[in-house]
Amino acid sequence: MYFKHISTRFFHLSKNLCADKNALAALRKKTGYTFANCKKALEMHENDLTKAEKWLQEQAESLGWSKATKLEGRSASQGLVGVLVQRNIGALVEINCETDFVSRNENFREFVEKTSKACLNYVSDVKETEGNVTKIALESESLKNLKLEDGKMLSDHLALLIGKIGENTVLKRAICYKTADTIKLFGFTHPAPESIDEEGKVIMGRYGAIAAFNSNTEASDEVRVIYRKICQHIVGMNPEKIGDTEIDKPNEVKDDEKCLIYQDFILDSEMTIGEILKENNIKIIDFHRFECGEEVKVN
Amino acid sequence: MSALVAVKQALSPALRSTFRQFLLNTNVKSSGCISVSPFIISKRYFAEKKVFQRTKPHCNIGTIGHVDHGKTTLTAAITKVLAEKDLAESKAYSDIDNAPEEKARGITINVAHIEYQTDNRHYGHTDCPGHADYIKNMITGTAQMDGAILVVAATDGAMPQTREHLLLAKQIGVNDIVVFINKVDAADAEMVELVEMEIRELMTEMGYDGDKVPIIKGSALCALEEKNPDIGQKAILELLDTVDKTIPTPVRELDKPFLLPVENVYSIQGRGTVVSGRLERGVLKKGAECEFVGYNKVLKSTVTGVEMFHQILEEAQAGDQLGALVRGVKRDDIKRGMVMCKPGSCKAIDQVEAQVYILSKEEGGRTKPFTSFFQLQMFSRTWDCAAVCIIPGKEMCMPGEDTSLQLKLFRPMVLEQGQRFTLRDGKITLGTGVVTKILPPLSEIERQELTEGKKGREKKEKKNKKTV
Ligand SMILES: Nc1nc2c(ncn2[C@@H]2O[C@H](COP(=O)(O)OP(=O)(O)OP(=O)(O)O)[C@@H](O)[C@H]2O)c(=O)[nH]1
Ligand SMILES: [Mg+2]
Repeated sequence: MYFKHISTRFFHLSKNLCADKNALAALRKKTGYTFANCKKALEMHENDLTKAEKWLQEQAESLGWSKATKLEGRSASQGLVGVLVQRNIGALVEINCETDFVSRNENFREFVEKTSKACLNYVSDVKETEGNVTKIALESESLKNLKLEDGKMLSDHLALLIGKIGENTVLKRAICYKTADTIKLFGFTHPAPESIDEEGKVIMGRYGAIAAFNSNTEASDEVRVIYRKICQHIVGMNPEKIGDTEIDKPNEVKDDEKCLIYQDFILDSEMTIGEILKENNIKIIDFHRFECGEEVKVN
Repeated sequence: MSALVAVKQALSPALRSTFRQFLLNTNVKSSGCISVSPFIISKRYFAEKKVFQRTKPHCNIGTIGHVDHGKTTLTAAITKVLAEKDLAESKAYSDIDNAPEEKARGITINVAHIEYQTDNRHYGHTDCPGHADYIKNMITGTAQMDGAILVVAATDGAMPQTREHLLLAKQIGVNDIVVFINKVDAADAEMVELVEMEIRELMTEMGYDGDKVPIIKGSALCALEEKNPDIGQKAILELLDTVDKTIPTPVRELDKPFLLPVENVYSIQGRGTVVSGRLERGVLKKGAECEFVGYNKVLKSTVTGVEMFHQILEEAQAGDQLGALVRGVKRDDIKRGMVMCKPGSCKAIDQVEAQVYILSKEEGGRTKPFTSFFQLQMFSRTWDCAAVCIIPGKEMCMPGEDTSLQLKLFRPMVLEQGQRFTLRDGKITLGTGVVTKILPPLSEIERQELTEGKKGREKKEKKNKKTV
């Protein structure tokens, strides 16, 4: 019984050093950090739960960093796309992790939420340029430097997350929108468990899109339903551009159609998107679509 | 059991001609000239390829659990410990980790298949790589698991994938789990105890009997490196002993009530009706009472003769390609796609819940997503049937996604929990799935709604709105 022997001796010799079992269980349950880390925290702080937790949060940042560097090489192609729209500002973000399991994790989702909000904050301070739509793309490095309400940078929160979930996580990219008041922004993600859209709430999925509409009428519920369906169509059919009836010609092969206005509507193949827009007196001014893990086109 | 159309098309003409031939020569009884069917060939080949003789009962298991908790190390350790008893071929960690990709129903999956035996049983063991392949593997059934070893590192405790793997295992019908708490060399006794408590709690939450689930503690790495035998080698043996005892040996196909998916039906003058196909389960004896189920029909009959390759047999066994002479039913009463079974053992179903993997464009699937009420063709065993799908909780389903689907069949067909099937849309294979739940039969109104299509649904919706 070599193993048992060792462990009893260990407990004997280090009695006052040893983490209290109840405290360990409590700390693990509360923080979700691994048992090994919780134990270390308690040992260092004589089983003081509050101190241990505080230390753990701090430590996780640096631990997260060391883990992040170790995990850096691992490919992170799963993850989530987050969409947040508030009146005339909006953010579309992509955050990657290694497995789709982690992308469903509560901590990971919280982080997507934080990032989306940080982007929205950032764009709300940006001065509007001329024209109707201002669109700003943020790369990984600029995302890391965004400040959150707690004064920490997004990169700090990222390290904390990596320490918690044990997977390489990457802030991939973001697109921020700011529009004139006459322009309505709308967002959609897939798969999205939420069936009702609430402005100001972060939605997330493996795909996401934001579109900017110009409608003569006030955005009634009915019009919002159409915005939503068009966004769903963009996510589902992946058009390359809106298309212009004066310049672009419809593709002869329907399945290869890349202009939004000529594509058959995903929810009613008897109509094209162009026809839907016309019928409802809606104009689409711009859209952007993210697919999680896709290769980023440089243009 | 394959539901692939390609297989069906490739095999059927050949078999059909074999049968015509034997049906014409029914007078030639044991002529000694036995035509060799592709099934026999593959069976022999299979038998020769096996390293171990199948004298012991067989069981399929696999390792599941969070990334880095030691699934592959444990798999290697098991083969090493058993190799010392000459019960396995020792496999290095790298051999298991670099298993070649394989294709199942057009889907590429990374999964290692290992084989070993204990004193009591023979095992097929799969090591799932712990990400998306795990889902594909479970749904397509390349490695159907009778039970699983859940690996949890004592240093970490239950992590996100631990939970997710358990959930999927439960959905797919893997009801027997043995837990291995790994890495106890790097943890102390109290931690191990707490991890055990945590796992029991989690298992209960997931619908398993958490208090009774067997938990073994040890270190796969120690076993692999021949250190500290108490937590190394001995723990592995204890684990295997527990797996032997607590994961029940699956009922062999041979021991189940007989079931023959009908491939073809012939009428032979002066003799009656003959149905042909491959016996999927059980033993079919001359004189057996039988039932034909499918296409809204249940027909009772008696098997008056069993024939295989020009020979009349007393009985046929699961796996045999056969023709059965049946009494009192006309050729036109029976159709390909029905099932001939022991009376009362099968039921026709028209509504199920399933877990489905939708092929990506690269895998030859659709390029576009589909939405609820999409009509598709469902293939399973020898039947195919039009069905309408409902995507619960999602507005659409994109190529490359896995999803749960509710399938409503235009006609009731024989279906059971755990049955695999393929979905097609015209010439394209849309996806492949497994039945997770049988739902109550469609009502008359629901059945009507299936056929009335989109316009009808919209009309009804409008009407409902007005009345509200
Ligand atoms: N200390 C200790 N380390 C172990 C033990 N078992 C495995 N490890 C180590 O844990 C790491 C991960 O082990 P793997 O077997 O690759 O884990 P896995 O679960 O197959 O990982 P994935 O396939 O990536 O999900 C390796 O560095 C192993 O050496 C153990 O009993 N004790
Ligand atoms: Mg592995």
